[in-house]
Amino acid sequence: MRRRSLRLRLLVTFGLGAFVLSSLVATVTYVGVQRLLINNQQQADLGQSYVNAALVRSTLYTSPPELSNLLNSIQNASASNVLVRTHKEWLARSNSASIYDVSADTINAVDAGRATEQTLHVDGRIIFVVGVPIPSVETQFFEVFQLSNLEHTLRLLLMALIFGALATSLLGLSGGLWVARRTVRPLTEVSNAAALIADGALSTRLLVNQADREVQQLTESFNQMVSQLVQRLERDARFASDVSHELRSPLTTLATTASVLQQHRDELTTAGRESLDLLVADLSIFQSLVEDLLEMARSDGGVEPVMETLPIIELAQQSVRSASRRHALDEPPVEVASGVDDPLVRVDRRRFERVITNLIDNAHRYAGGAVALRIDVAGNFVEVNVDDAGAGVPPEEAEQVFERFFRGLAAHDRGIARGTGLGLALVRDHVRTFGGTITVTRSPEGGARFQILLPLVRSEST
Amino acid sequence: MSRILIVEDDDHIRSALRLMFEGEGFVVDDAPSGEVAMAMFSRMASDVAIVDIMLPGMSGFETCLALRGASDLPIVIVSARDDTADVVLGLESGADDYVTKPFVPEELLARVRAHLRRRPEKSTGAFKLGDLHVIPDEGVVRHGDGAELHLTSTEFRLLTDLASNNAKPLSREDLLERVWGYDYFGDSRLVDVHIRRLRMKIEPDPANPIFLVTVRGTGYKLVI
Repeated sequence: MRRRSLRLRLLVTFGLGAFVLSSLVATVTYVGVQRLLINNQQQADLGQSYVNAALVRSTLYTSPPELSNLLNSIQNASASNVLVRTHKEWLARSNSASIYDVSADTINAVDAGRATEQTLHVDGRIIFVVGVPIPSVETQFFEVFQLSNLEHTLRLLLMALIFGALATSLLGLSGGLWVARRTVRPLTEVSNAAALIADGALSTRLLVNQADREVQQLTESFNQMVSQLVQRLERDARFASDVSHELRSPLTTLATTASVLQQHRDELTTAGRESLDLLVADLSIFQSLVEDLLEMARSDGGVEPVMETLPIIELAQQSVRSASRRHALDEPPVEVASGVDDPLVRVDRRRFERVITNLIDNAHRYAGGAVALRIDVAGNFVEVNVDDAGAGVPPEEAEQVFERFFRGLAAHDRGIARGTGLGLALVRDHVRTFGGTITVTRSPEGGARFQILLPLVRSEST
Repeated sequence: MSRILIVEDDDHIRSALRLMFEGEGFVVDDAPSGEVAMAMFSRMASDVAIVDIMLPGMSGFETCLALRGASDLPIVIVSARDDTADVVLGLESGADDYVTKPFVPEELLARVRAHLRRRPEKSTGAFKLGDLHVIPDEGVVRHGDGAELHLTSTEFRLLTDLASNNAKPLSREDLLERVWGYDYFGDSRLVDVHIRRLRMKIEPDPANPIFLVTVRGTGYKLVI
């Protein structure tokens, strides 16, 4: 299932909510105001009509020929059309009045002696028709009002309301955006911090003061968790370091006495000699293990690397030479890709030598030796590739090989001379202190390629 | 027969080292502390010394300084830690070399032998460095006024080997091989610290060397 975005959901909820609410309020307002206005107008018009009807009646009594003039003056005064009907015939009407504005229903009702009012919607206009019977002269008076003034007002109101609703929706949307940001930000910070810590930046903490109360709890417990984790890690590292330090002296004595025994090898029986060989062989593994543990404790325990800006090609050549000689291994050639000038990197010389030593040793143990150390430049990084022609590292072990005491299938299958299980872990630790990365891929020869990427140093001054 | 002084406070290690070096034909004097070592040293002429850094009382660094004050014999320090600061401090105290615990006994033996083997080579004639006269035949360096500038044998060797290379640079590896006699134990810090110490002695302004210059990408060379 695709995960929904909390940010998006908050945004949509706020935006949509504001839109629906403001639309509802606008609609209710519009309808209400429209009714009120029309009602008021109709009441006024109705009153007017009765007055006008009375005028018509008195005119019919006194001087019927004046009727037309009267009707026209009514039309001018109240902006309405008036019609007068008698004995089912239209008697008179004002100039712009039309008999079609008065419906048959209204006429019938008024004929029957009932005062009637009717609201019509014609062509988008609202027409209010009032019919008043004048029984004393058997006449019906009709007045047709145009509510056009009202229409204009209502249109303005409608526009204002739509504009208001849109503005409110936008406001809701931006409120949603703000809330979403505010809600999601602490989560983003926590996840960023967790990622940093996972990458080894153990001093990373969240800022507590700036957060809301609920978030403060989260950040406080997060920080507490990290602190405890760090303490735990430090305790473990110190323990490993203490153990290794304590092992140093007895190990030195053991190794030295073993070499004294070697001096007296000829005086030993066959069994004695074989035992001595076993002793010496395992002592050397023991020694490497303690050395690796000490080295690891140093980098875990925060002994600062001595960083120098150095030319990588010369450094690699020297490292390969001393690593190969130290372990009496074949010295792989150092190949520099064409076009690569003399790139500089920033490393701790001794630790870099250790990295190369361990990689060459690893290739020797598991892949019949390194075929080449290849140097190239890719973007802002210097590539240092230690290639072999062995079986390669299976993809599922590509991450694990760098873990402490990891022993891959290769080690089990072929009864390979035991390493300490720390060599590649140390390599990764050291490469990280240089700000670099190491991965294992496939070499051109089909074996493993241990690829170190180190940041390229642009100028020597840094 | 070579005479070796072993200063080590751990009884077991000291005994084991004594056994090993005696087995290799050395005459061994051992001392559990710097104080005892200095008392012994005034009575007998050791050819080489192994000094542990972590000693009770007088520290290994102080012992090195005291030994260096009394003699030019090669000193190999045994450091419990491999931290650069320790190594540098040890070498600055006058040691010629160092190994870290747990060391491989054969390696220690090889180093001691290498130090004993080297003798000042008369590979180059006398030369001048500004105000200084370097006279390899006599193994001395004199100021213009005739006063002697004291260099340890390692420093002297470093200087004359660089001089004999005719102003061409030597890599750290080359220097380790030529000066220390090591094929494969090399640690470039050994060279760097000795170069720095030598500069303090021969350069008018050690921060801006004019004789003993660094050649980036290669190593060091001596400009005569």
